[in-house]
Amino acid sequence: MFDLFSDPVKVAKQLDIIMNEFGFATWETLYSLVLEVAFAYLIGLPLGVLLVTGEKEGIKPLPKPFMAVLNVVINLLRSVPFLILMIITLPLSKIIVGTKVGTMATIPPMVIAAFPLVARMVESSLREVDHGVIEAAQSMGASAWQIVTKVMLPEALPSLISGCTISVGTILGYGAMAGIIGGGGLGKIAINYGYYNFKFLVMWAAVIGLILLVQIFQSAGTWLGTKCDKRLKNRS
Amino acid sequence: MEPIVELRNLSKTFGSGEGQVAALQHVSVAVQPGEIFGIIGLSGAGKSTLVRCINLLERPDEGQVLFHGKDLMNMKTKELRAVRRKISMIFQSFNLLDQRTSLDNICFPLELEGVPRAEAKRRAMELLETVGLPDKANSYPVQLSGGQKQRIAIARALASNPEVLLCDEATSALDPQTTDSILKLLQSISRERKITVIIITHQMSVIEQICNRVAILDSGVVAEIGEVEKVFSNPQSAAGRRLVTPDVALPLSTWEGPVARIAFNGNMSEEPIIASVAVDLGIKLSILGAGTRNVDGKAFGAMLVSLPEEAEKRKAVLDYLNGHEGVTAEVIQ
Ligand SMILES: Nc1ncnc2c1ncn2[C@@H]1O[C@H](COP(=O)(O)OP(=O)(O)OP(=O)(O)O)[C@@H](O)[C@H]1O
Ligand SMILES: [Mg+2]
Repeated sequence: MFDLFSDPVKVAKQLDIIMNEFGFATWETLYSLVLEVAFAYLIGLPLGVLLVTGEKEGIKPLPKPFMAVLNVVINLLRSVPFLILMIITLPLSKIIVGTKVGTMATIPPMVIAAFPLVARMVESSLREVDHGVIEAAQSMGASAWQIVTKVMLPEALPSLISGCTISVGTILGYGAMAGIIGGGGLGKIAINYGYYNFKFLVMWAAVIGLILLVQIFQSAGTWLGTKCDKRLKNRS
Repeated sequence: MEPIVELRNLSKTFGSGEGQVAALQHVSVAVQPGEIFGIIGLSGAGKSTLVRCINLLERPDEGQVLFHGKDLMNMKTKELRAVRRKISMIFQSFNLLDQRTSLDNICFPLELEGVPRAEAKRRAMELLETVGLPDKANSYPVQLSGGQKQRIAIARALASNPEVLLCDEATSALDPQTTDSILKLLQSISRERKITVIIITHQMSVIEQICNRVAILDSGVVAEIGEVEKVFSNPQSAAGRRLVTPDVALPLSTWEGPVARIAFNGNMSEEPIIASVAVDLGIKLSILGAGTRNVDGKAFGAMLVSLPEEAEKRKAVLDYLNGHEGVTAEVIQ
């Protein structure tokens, strides 16, 4: 791969691929990312809340067996290597999105891989909320639902945002791997052209694209998380 | 008059087996409407547990928690939540919502009740006036001092128009001046709004300053209960006497010999007692440390003195001292 630039024709061909396919691939990466993150949070956020509120000392204790099952399922999904989990769960896509091939087909397996991570992220953010504040809300007659929506989530917001940033980065990484089972996007380009076809220039370009995306999301997340944290207000 | 808050025979035990702690044992207390009631005790006496039982943040193992004669223990969740709006609470660590402005913190309890936003804001502004911080409406808790935070917490506690205000060590994190001003604020609020205030503290000065009646809690048991002047000037219980007599520590732990602690409970005669020991028993005691506290014009004091090495002389000294009215002597080393 070190004679990357030795053959001008090859280089031109690769640049051609980059020019023609990267726009669409980036778009594919982004829209699948948005869908995956949205669904992962749709499932993971409520579960993360339940993990905190449902425990024995929580604000709304749930039956012990339920909590045990919830924890086991999340741990199990978290411990299966991503690629394997994706291959196992791909058949589900047929039922959920009607096809086993293409970018859409990779979304359900990705969500199944990502929501347990999201649930744990949310759980750890919510655990940071000062117990005294929750108790104060209880002393004012707040219901469990009010405590979750008006105390725990808003007070944990900066931490939830930084957790979301980490989740997005991880899901982006998963998405790149999904290229192996037919998902579209920058990951697919890197694998197909680079790994299978020795077009290393294309591969590196795709990798740099992914790195840039991670950087952008990370900076945006950090900025947003800091900006909305009222504990960081300068004394005036 | 019917008590507004009455605790009957409360018991609460934490943990089980070896590490079991009986935080409350058969505690009964009745608080009258409009009074400022103090609960004092050493650290670990069970004060926080007791006050948390009043709004059932802590569920006692047995006993009754009555608010206007109705037992909270038998209430459904919804009913209990309605009662909690009438029993507000402030805390040592303030417990404000960090991500909300002062104004929105005060609006919080109103939001829980579904009061319209404009109405809630108007009430919150009024309360900011009451606690003397109208210019801090848009400040976040991080931008406030401890005393200011507690004022906001008090305004928040008043928002739901409570009948009772519980204060768990509300001034313990504040300096003396700020403590003073917060106590004055509580007093004026209690007077003007006819709110019953229940104050938990380990500081006698807090009780002396604003309470009408006081209960002394000692290892989960109510040792004494009564009007502040009476209890503090003439404590009937051992716990009361311990509390009232100033704590004296050996200035330096270099003293190797036996030491006695002599406590004067305010009823002591003018007799120069150490000199008397020297004259009557021919034994010279040296004073290792001493302190006094003035309660209602009576001097409460404690003194640490060296004791003779010989056992019979030691006994003679102790017997002699304990023979005086208002004097208690005990060997502590
Ligand atoms: N949740 C709990 N679990 C176990 N033990 C507890 C719990 N809460 C209180 N205790 C124990 O109960 C006893 C009384 O505690 P409590 O907090 O009521 O004391 P306190 O008088 O408020 O003390 P302080 O002045 O230090 O606040 C202590 O021995 C404490 O260790
Ligand atoms: Mg306490």
